[in-house]
Amino acid sequence: MENDKNSQKIVDYIQNFARKHSLFVMAYGTGCGAIEVPATMTSRYDAERFGIRGAATPRQADVLLITGYLSTKTLKRVIRVYEQMQEPKYVIGFGSCTINGGMYFDSYNTINGLDQYIPVDVYINGCMPRPEAVISGFVKLQELILAGKANNGEKYRENLEHYRTNQKKIIKNWKMPDYNW
Amino acid sequence: MNDLKIENNLLNAVVAAFKVEGKVIRERRVEVFADKNMVSGILLFAKKQLGYIHLAHMTCVDWIEQGEFQLIYTIYSPVEKITLFVNTRIDRDHPEMENIDTIWDQANTYEREMREMFGIEFPGLVGEHEFILEDWDQIPPMRKEFDTHKYAAETFYSRPGREDAKDVREVINERSGAKVPDFAKKYSRE
Repeated sequence: MENDKNSQKIVDYIQNFARKHSLFVMAYGTGCGAIEVPATMTSRYDAERFGIRGAATPRQADVLLITGYLSTKTLKRVIRVYEQMQEPKYVIGFGSCTINGGMYFDSYNTINGLDQYIPVDVYINGCMPRPEAVISGFVKLQELILAGKANNGEKYRENLEHYRTNQKKIIKNWKMPDYNW
Repeated sequence: MNDLKIENNLLNAVVAAFKVEGKVIRERRVEVFADKNMVSGILLFAKKQLGYIHLAHMTCVDWIEQGEFQLIYTIYSPVEKITLFVNTRIDRDHPEMENIDTIWDQANTYEREMREMFGIEFPGLVGEHEFILEDWDQIPPMRKEFDTHKYAAETFYSRPGREDAKDVREVINERSGAKVPDFAKKYSRE
């Protein structure tokens, strides 16, 4: 039995519909973007009307929100946080720095391009994006989830070799736990 | 109105004791230029005799053309409310400086940072060699011969940009049918 609109099973459609409306966000506050998150969550922009709210730990979260530049040291922690998250999991890259390094494009310890290390569902551009842009990015993510196209957790598992190679190029002294995939 | 009396008194006290050069930069800012060996003496003298009890900052400047590092010790007196800069220059090829964390404990942190970022050795300095960077195997990154652009291009993945690098605002405006006011046109790239 399939749905006419986007050719997925009705069970999946309902499941995705439910997932779309309860996005628990792990706001990983790196860089300057961390200050935009409270503005998005609180009463003026009120992200909770879209079902977006904060999560306490990675294991309870659906969305990993990377809010700015990532130094090579921080990348290590981000990978650990990402691998601890349960599927389905989504990543939102926030601001120019996650897209191409932004103003830190030639820095010796800041990565350029987050999607080389972990798969990213939605990028929000801007330096910094305002809360409207953040909410627009979340709405875009919700559309992807409803259409069944946001399955990057699976993609990460399948292409783990590729991502590990890129990660180990940056993190030379690799002492991370290997999670049981 | 302000005849810089306290500033000049301070400068004269340091110059008379150590025969160093110095000047009053402006109100509440005094600097002296000392030899490498005299720095700890000046700092100790300023701390014990003149009341400059607060080490505000220690920093380093790389003068690659002269082959020297400039070390700047910034100390402050809460009584006189004057900031005193003690400058010294050390050789760039064999950078070594006296460890002053016996005078101020917090100098340890600054010295560890300088050791990591510039490669300056402080004999007798206790502390892990790895301070901020993790697994760093290049030359110290704040030295000027370190080419950050090249290193970033080799290590990280740069995203290819648009090749034409054209101003696309007109095309966007045509598509969306928006009218551009005249004052906005003069900021166009062409």
